[in-house]
Amino acid sequence: MSEAITIKFETSGGEQIAVRARPGISVMEAAVMNNVQGIEAECGGACICATCHVYCDDLDEDTLGEMSSEEDDMLDMSPAERRPSSRLSCQLRVTEKLEDAVFVIPESQS
Amino acid sequence: MSAVVIIGASHAGVQAAASLRQRGWQERIVLLSAEEDYPYHRPPLSKAYLAGEKAEEQLLLRAPEFYRDQGIDLRLNEPARSIDPHARQVTVSAGRLDYNKLVLATGSRARTLPLPGADAHGIHTLRSISDARVLRSALRDAENIVIIGGGFIGLEFASTAIKQGKSVVVLEAQERLLARALPETLSAFIRSYHAGNGVAFRFGALPERFVTRGDKVSGVLLSDGTALPADLVLVGVGGVAETALAEPLGLKTVAGGIEVDAHGRTSAPDIYALGDVAAVHNAYASAPIRLESVQNAVEQAKAAAEHILGSAAPPSAVPWFWTDQYDLKMQMAGLPRPGTTELLRGDPASGAFSILQLAGSRLVAAYSVNRAADHMASRKLIASGDFIDTDRASDIETPLLKTVAVAAAS
Repeated sequence: MSEAITIKFETSGGEQIAVRARPGISVMEAAVMNNVQGIEAECGGACICATCHVYCDDLDEDTLGEMSSEEDDMLDMSPAERRPSSRLSCQLRVTEKLEDAVFVIPESQS
Repeated sequence: MSAVVIIGASHAGVQAAASLRQRGWQERIVLLSAEEDYPYHRPPLSKAYLAGEKAEEQLLLRAPEFYRDQGIDLRLNEPARSIDPHARQVTVSAGRLDYNKLVLATGSRARTLPLPGADAHGIHTLRSISDARVLRSALRDAENIVIIGGGFIGLEFASTAIKQGKSVVVLEAQERLLARALPETLSAFIRSYHAGNGVAFRFGALPERFVTRGDKVSGVLLSDGTALPADLVLVGVGGVAETALAEPLGLKTVAGGIEVDAHGRTSAPDIYALGDVAAVHNAYASAPIRLESVQNAVEQAKAAAEHILGSAAPPSAVPWFWTDQYDLKMQMAGLPRPGTTELLRGDPASGAFSILQLAGSRLVAAYSVNRAADHMASRKLIASGDFIDTDRASDIETPLLKTVAVAAAS
């Protein structure tokens, strides 16, 4: 199994929380397992509730993985404001490429 | 000190505790669970977990530290024994807990079939993570699988089992799959998709007894005399509200559940019921109903938390539900209603389409297969009550939200 890496979540208040995550799980699961608040993920990663929205300001699709049309559609309807850097964290796999990546959590997911 | 005691720590109970804290409840919260595992997501049990694509730690509703940090007194393996509504106390093995508000979130249990041989090894139901653990390991060694009940759990299990190269037969008492929940077009589509993957179906099939060899199941005998070999049987014939604890309280019941209002209040003062165990007059149904879904559990928990804190209930949300089978993501919004007209959007043969049910030109329910955008748009249109242009709506190239002909007065 690959080594755990560090990823960071930034709250809407600007606080950064670094967590260890093992490659293969989703960024959403890394947040939930590490008790990071503000990522609701009501549907548990089925890509149907759009309450695990994050902003990935300095990360490109090459680093994050391609966005499916399904994720794209869900983001359009997400309760939190959609921005160019919006992604659903349940659809992002933790990989070595994400070492030190920062995911910004919207103020509200509802 | 005031206390809220919540009985049941699944989607509804955990959300109630979390919402109470988030919205400012400063007093005690006790969350009782009859299970020994930290609260977890149930839908993946019949999907990604069973298929071996998700580990148990990926199913957690919240990190274990969450409860401690939020001052939620989560007690695992501590089922409530009884409730004394006059003394306002819940009895647990460790003694009595005082409450000011009591929340019943006891969920539902899998219905079983009281047929001869039903206690043999190899006959399963699926509701909890302990059920799923046993089933996941039994699946590895099984060859011939019979699934009793062509509902969501049965079909999800069928898709996982057939992918692992097993022989799978689904028995359905009705003449088609999910007859009450889905339009015929979608039932037929799901059936042929499964059949194309190798799943066999028997409709109108009534199991009469389980055939056993020693203490293990070896087959299922049907009332027409057919004997089907089976070394693993999954019984997926629906859920029964877990009301045993509430029965002595004499709470009003309806539709197989504890009757509640839009705030989650039962007929007894300061006792709420949420999730699978509760039946409510849903704004989108014409009668009180019990909805077994994550969304319903979460919404009811939020409404009850608001009421406990003295705030108004949020408006009733459009019911939604999902199921994953093979590469099909099926999403449903709204509730079926008699007398609607049906409109097909897209071509089922393409594997991505939606079926819309309309009352006049208002959307009542929508069933989407690999069409997330339609599903999300449907939730908005069902809630708004806008009139839609049916010609435009049947054109899959036109975004559903752009088919509004006349916006409903708000």
